Amino acid sequence: MNFEVIEHTADIGFRAWGASFEQLLVGASQALVSIAMDLGTIEPAHAYPIAAAGEDRESLLVNWLSEVLYYLDGQRVALARFEVHRFSESEASGLGWGEPRQPRHEPRLIVKGVTYHQLRIACENGKWVCEVYLDV
Amino acid sequence: MHLERLDEWRVRIPKDERRGMRTDVIAYASETLLEQIRKDLSLEQAMNVATLPGIVGPSLTMPDIHQGYGFPIGGVAAMDYRHGVVSPGGVGFDINCGVRLMNTTLYETDVRPRLKELVDQIFRDVPCGAGGQGPFDITAKELEEVLVRGADAVVRKGFGEERDLRFAESRGCLPEADPEEVSARAKERGRPQLGTIGSGNHFLEIQYVESIHHPAAAQAMGLEVGRVVVLLHCGSRGLGHQVCTDYLAQMGSAMKRHQISTPDRQLACVPIQSAEGQSYLKAMRAAANFAWANRQAILHLLRGSFAKIFGKSARLSVLYDVCHNIAKREKHTVDGVERDVLVHRKGATRAFPPGHPEIPREYAHIGQPVLVPGSMGTASWILVGAEGAMEHTFGSVCHGAGRLLSRTAAKRGQDARTVRDKLERRGIIVRSETRDGILEEIPEAYKDVDEVIAVVEGAGLARKVARLRPMGVIKG
Repeated sequence: MNFEVIEHTADIGFRAWGASFEQLLVGASQALVSIAMDLGTIEPAHAYPIAAAGEDRESLLVNWLSEVLYYLDGQRVALARFEVHRFSESEASGLGWGEPRQPRHEPRLIVKGVTYHQLRIACENGKWVCEVYLDV
Repeated sequence: MHLERLDEWRVRIPKDERRGMRTDVIAYASETLLEQIRKDLSLEQAMNVATLPGIVGPSLTMPDIHQGYGFPIGGVAAMDYRHGVVSPGGVGFDINCGVRLMNTTLYETDVRPRLKELVDQIFRDVPCGAGGQGPFDITAKELEEVLVRGADAVVRKGFGEERDLRFAESRGCLPEADPEEVSARAKERGRPQLGTIGSGNHFLEIQYVESIHHPAAAQAMGLEVGRVVVLLHCGSRGLGHQVCTDYLAQMGSAMKRHQISTPDRQLACVPIQSAEGQSYLKAMRAAANFAWANRQAILHLLRGSFAKIFGKSARLSVLYDVCHNIAKREKHTVDGVERDVLVHRKGATRAFPPGHPEIPREYAHIGQPVLVPGSMGTASWILVGAEGAMEHTFGSVCHGAGRLLSRTAAKRGQDARTVRDKLERRGIIVRSETRDGILEEIPEAYKDVDEVIAVVEGAGLARKVARLRPMGVIKG
């Protein structure tokens, strides 16, 4: 696992990491899904396109995660694996692998939104890390 | 941080405490509560709110305040309607998250023998939790109706009574809502969710009146000791969440255009009078209307559950319905001058005093009912708004007990079955979609609701009417 859950008085957050910013997006996406449901119960049977843009890395990350959240809550699709194919400072696109949501996915919390609260993205010793808080 | 105690109930952080603050922070808190409040970032967040352009009067916090994102939860800020800003973060993702309280024709002694049956019936009838899809299969056109008319759209379909609307804040509908300003995504996310509770701290509780503290108000509300009431806490579900997400994503570039900067990105805001500000407000009102329709739809399901167990003679009537995540245009007198303001209430409840024209006539002589849920297994309160709220807090008070422990800390060393058994021994039956739903909301995770209420009453913002004890809890 390339993420861990961190505490907040009312809500919940996670710390994710990766060898590159693309890998960071992958780890952060999995962290978000793991807060909403059991990642291990999702079959990565189908590919779903994900694309996001932002004026900087922070908004790109928030907007990418909001796309993942929209799949979970709007499209009712559970995603387990992620790939980032194209990436620039302001845009990213790739695939999420998963399947339509089913009861066996064991729902946990409903994530309402991805916040900028104490949002942190950094490259430390060649490793990208981020901290993100979610409204639940 | 320099805190100046003004009286037993209030402290002040002067505006010269930090550069950029345009006004003071006034925090309503006893010494005990303040000690807890200072453990997180909530007062810093209230100081950030004090920097927003066009803020009128102080940046206020209620005694149930805790750290949020951008605004603190339990924050109140009024912005000049002509020259001020609107902040989607000041409303939150769950637009018009709120509380509806229903009075019943039943007493604790009627319900107690069939409590398990009733709780199980409601758990079957009212969808909750992350998997919850509503039983109301509404068309795109019906959703538009909901976004424009709020609770009335649901009543018109036959799911409620005209009387239900009269006892909701703003009659369950904010005018000037525009479905065109709500994205297709938000509509898609919300459409299947009408009539669902959600998860997190949202719940439905069967309670009884434990004590009466204001006999005249209790009489006007039809309350007496032992009477069973039902309290519902939920909001605008995925529709409201997506509206907030959509507008936050647009705010960055809009702020640059309007040359606004904020100390916290989650406080993103735009002038109320700008095109972006007006679009957001129209979408926010539509989402607020969805939330009122949602609470109305759930009431319809609840009526069915009660009828199945107690027969048609068991009636549920709306006592009141309040929103506690909202921005509303109101008139308030500040320093002797009437001001047109947009009041952001983020985890705060409107509390208008007796005689205010927006209160239904049945309550005109007592003030607007304020519904304050406590934690699962402790107590909730009914209050009425008092003059002090109009004088000092833009007609606002607290919205709950206020969280003390994080979800992770609440779960540590706890076991869901033990918690459920412990509550059951105290006469409280809990049904939850998930194990975490019980553990994260344990009573110990919250502040003492009685202490919070003592502050708002002591400060003259509201008066106690009745203390309610839970018997049955249904959670996501």
